[in-house]
Amino acid sequence: MPLYEGIGTEKLTVVMDLGAAFTKLGFSGEFAPRHIIRSEVTLKGSNLTREIYSYVNGDDLYDLLVEFLHMIFFKYVLLSPKDKPVIIVESLLCPTIFRETLAKVLFSHYEIYSLLIVPSHLVSLAPLAINTALVVDVGYLETTVIPICHGLPVLHAWQALPLASQAINNKLRKHLHSCNIKISEVKQNIIDDIKVRCCFVTPQRRAIQFLKSNSQLNYCPDLQYPLGGTKIINVPGKIRETVAEFLFEEDNDHQCLSTMVLDSILKVNVDLRVKLAENILLTGGTVMLTGFKARFKEELYKQLNSSRYEKLKLSKFMFHSAPSKDNYTAWLGGAIYGATEVLGMKSITREYYFKESRLPDWPNMKDNSRIQ
Amino acid sequence: MSNYITGPDVVKYACSCGLLKPITRLYFCRHCLELRCGFCVCHEVDSNYCGKCCENLPSAEARLKKNRCGDCYDCPSCKQNLSKRAATVGPKNPEDPKATPRKVYYLLCLNCRWSSRDVGIPDQAAATGSWPERENVHAARLQEIIEMYKGIVLAEKQQKMEKDKKKQRRFMTFTDRTGITASMLRKRIGLPDIPHPLLKPKPKEPEEAVAKEEVEEFPEELLTKPINLNEITTLEQRLNLPEWQPTTVDKLFPIHKQVSVKRSQRCRACEHNVSKPEYSPTSIKFKIQLFAFYHIPEVRIFTVEPLRAGKQCELLLKFSNPTQHQTVITFLPLFPSEDSFASKEIKELVPDEEVPSREIVIEEKQPPSLPGSQPSSLLHTSLSRTPSITVKPRPIKQAITANVELPTSNFVLLPRDDAAEFDDSGDTHNIQDDTKLVVWRKSNKAVIRLNITPLENLNIGDEVVVGFTMQHIYVNTITAVESKEPQRYNNNVKVFQYLGKIVGSE
Amino acid sequence: MSKGIKIVSGAIVCEECKLRGDVTIGGGTIIHPSASIIAEAGPIIIGENCLIEEQTKIINKAPVGQIDNENVQELIIGSNNVFEVDCAIEAIKIGDNNVFESKSFVGNKVTITNGCIIGAGCRLTEEQTLKENTIIYGENCNMREGLDRPLPQTLQMDTLIRMLPNYHHLKKPNLVNNKKN
Repeated sequence: MPLYEGIGTEKLTVVMDLGAAFTKLGFSGEFAPRHIIRSEVTLKGSNLTREIYSYVNGDDLYDLLVEFLHMIFFKYVLLSPKDKPVIIVESLLCPTIFRETLAKVLFSHYEIYSLLIVPSHLVSLAPLAINTALVVDVGYLETTVIPICHGLPVLHAWQALPLASQAINNKLRKHLHSCNIKISEVKQNIIDDIKVRCCFVTPQRRAIQFLKSNSQLNYCPDLQYPLGGTKIINVPGKIRETVAEFLFEEDNDHQCLSTMVLDSILKVNVDLRVKLAENILLTGGTVMLTGFKARFKEELYKQLNSSRYEKLKLSKFMFHSAPSKDNYTAWLGGAIYGATEVLGMKSITREYYFKESRLPDWPNMKDNSRIQ
Repeated sequence: MSNYITGPDVVKYACSCGLLKPITRLYFCRHCLELRCGFCVCHEVDSNYCGKCCENLPSAEARLKKNRCGDCYDCPSCKQNLSKRAATVGPKNPEDPKATPRKVYYLLCLNCRWSSRDVGIPDQAAATGSWPERENVHAARLQEIIEMYKGIVLAEKQQKMEKDKKKQRRFMTFTDRTGITASMLRKRIGLPDIPHPLLKPKPKEPEEAVAKEEVEEFPEELLTKPINLNEITTLEQRLNLPEWQPTTVDKLFPIHKQVSVKRSQRCRACEHNVSKPEYSPTSIKFKIQLFAFYHIPEVRIFTVEPLRAGKQCELLLKFSNPTQHQTVITFLPLFPSEDSFASKEIKELVPDEEVPSREIVIEEKQPPSLPGSQPSSLLHTSLSRTPSITVKPRPIKQAITANVELPTSNFVLLPRDDAAEFDDSGDTHNIQDDTKLVVWRKSNKAVIRLNITPLENLNIGDEVVVGFTMQHIYVNTITAVESKEPQRYNNNVKVFQYLGKIVGSE
Repeated sequence: MSKGIKIVSGAIVCEECKLRGDVTIGGGTIIHPSASIIAEAGPIIIGENCLIEEQTKIINKAPVGQIDNENVQELIIGSNNVFEVDCAIEAIKIGDNNVFESKSFVGNKVTITNGCIIGAGCRLTEEQTLKENTIIYGENCNMREGLDRPLPQTLQMDTLIRMLPNYHHLKKPNLVNNKKN
């Protein structure tokens, strides 16, 4: 039979990356997702919009995912999911309940034929055609750093902190609240929009100046953001410039984005450290914030001078730019994997799922011990 | 009827999957004689069509066009439809006296007045087709990479296959004995060697991406120049064009309109369709429509006396029979004690015979397999379909906050007669009603009286919910062909009424 | 006709429209029946070739508590503006070539320059000056900048100039076009 595979029309396989804020969806073998939509559903009856990640328990999540996937399949992907394969791009640090419930929904409610789950950090390297890099994913809920060495994620070196988009949004909302009245009920997507259109990450030299009490620097110009014709939000230059500063300020445990990267490199074998530092890949929607990458680089060099990282003996950092927009690099990797025969070889079929009634997972000893 | 659209839903029926829904949101599968809802049926894409030009797109074409209409566009600024506008411009060479003014076309959004001229797309001479398309700048490189990965995986697969083959081989073959392979043999005879079908010429290995020390520079002018919000795209506008995600409005390009689908619904237990729309995009009719509203008696709340905790009050319910057959309605308790939850009472009735309750045969439902009585032809016609998985029904979680005094007698509902509304001759039925139960009756409708008692422990403002099992006789017309006589079933449906809140004493 | 109303010749003003206070209407302007123009806090001056459709309410309303007899605020409306059915306008000043779509509302703290479009049902109340060629549209009053001013409705105006006098009584112009002076 394998002889006949690949002849005739190419099979279209749905590739989904269910992020905490946005879901990227499209088909395998394509170069960009067809749609990027918010990961939320509007419930029938109550007209309430709920985010997928706002679940309270497994049953609640099951219902949310049924609604959400229904929308995906019949409004965006336009494909009957029954007896079709599906590819999910997922973080290695995805909560087990989310994974298991998603698989349950796909197999028992939508009756898909097979499911291939690919780890987002690993597949992010596929569009670059490299197999060793340090992948920094700055998403919505958290930032995760996982080094990939020769095509294998080095899991013991992972770093994760909730320094990401959601934290920026909360900060922005709080600051705007202090200089505008009645802003607390402003919807999340307006806050998102203000962040994307008005805010940026300032260069390090200015950030250092701002920290000094006698700073002579002026902030960037203030901005009037019109809201629905009846209100204007005043966005002061100070907020525009410094709302994302906390990503680079060390917290009580002396941790921030730059230390996460260096700590992760520290945990890897000495031979690989230089190679990782010279192959850094930034992914996730938050890195698209204006000035983020430039500042990130500056911060890495700054941390290098501190005594904590002296022994690293690194002198330079190099960054990759994927042939995609940063917010869908992982999806693109999934789409590339999906175009190959991996789908038939490595995916979990329905029979297997119903026999085992669980997914293989790396923290599970049952799946782990076989490798060793 | 408007109540069903705007809500709140005061009468809900329990679907076989355990969800409570108003009757208008339920299907009735005539083959399994069960209520189904949008949650527990299998949805399928029936046909693709463009919502603007109402053209059908065959699925192969839709796939080719990436599920987008080739001719209609959405506004990149506000997602509304773009209209084509014609304008006349001067002739190409104004010196020529014979030249006539040309007609050119551009795209215009009538909602936000975005036009294709805003972003410098040249006006087109023809109304359809010729709009410029954009390509992904990374397409060539990504294609190379995909080919490379395909090659790697294929080689891996082949290695594995070869390994398996070696293991399996138990018998000596001709080539083993002689040491001549097929390809050597071909060469010896002088035939050209055929390459192995799976061993494609190795694709050119794309170079690994090179990391750079430089990153995107910070745009210094941001610090001093005020920005014009009207020139920066919103997050929604960026995500509508996922491939490009432009940051400024001058890079917004029209989006091909996404096609819509017509869906059909299939019962998971018996694989029959419960709803199938007509193929034509302009038609809003159905080929198959097994909506519960046309098969199950509808219950409406007529009136209810003020509800007080622990006090009996009167509830008037209006029943109407949507079918062409007379039915008898009997009230049963919500959860019969001896009957297990998932079981269902099916009893073939002999006409003109009373049904003694002890003769009711309880038949256990067999989840994935089909009952023997089902016509099996349906399964053979769709060989590619694997039988559906039946998900275990959920327990009904609705709390009942009032007791209902179930009437012991039953009542008859006459068949629906569309002509009756125009018939002034008055009611001609000769039905001996239990006057304690039936308050009013006209054509296929009847109002009955129930006594309910809200629970003692309710406080003012608590919701009062009552429920009962409604047993009605359902006449199945589809099996009539085989057995000549329509089969009659006792069908049980759990019905819940949301009566409102407890009020204080007078 | 009350004293303060001045209609320049060439304007088509239907008898059934409601004009109150000191209102000046420029030549070529068309006012449909049941439109109301109320000069409450000061005079209203409407330029040439404006189209004012049914149920339109143009009110010169001073901000609450600021009725000041000494400092009378004029509402000057430029030329070639279109006021569609049932829009309500209380703006400070309106330039040329603007379109106010059906059921739009412009509050009394807003200044409209030239070539703006206020979309159907949009409500503008917050104090602001709209830049030239601004387009307000949609449920959330989204804002964008147009490339050009909207085209004047010449065809429609020509038809109305021909048709309206056949079916409606008109108010007589009482002012000769004094543009040449």
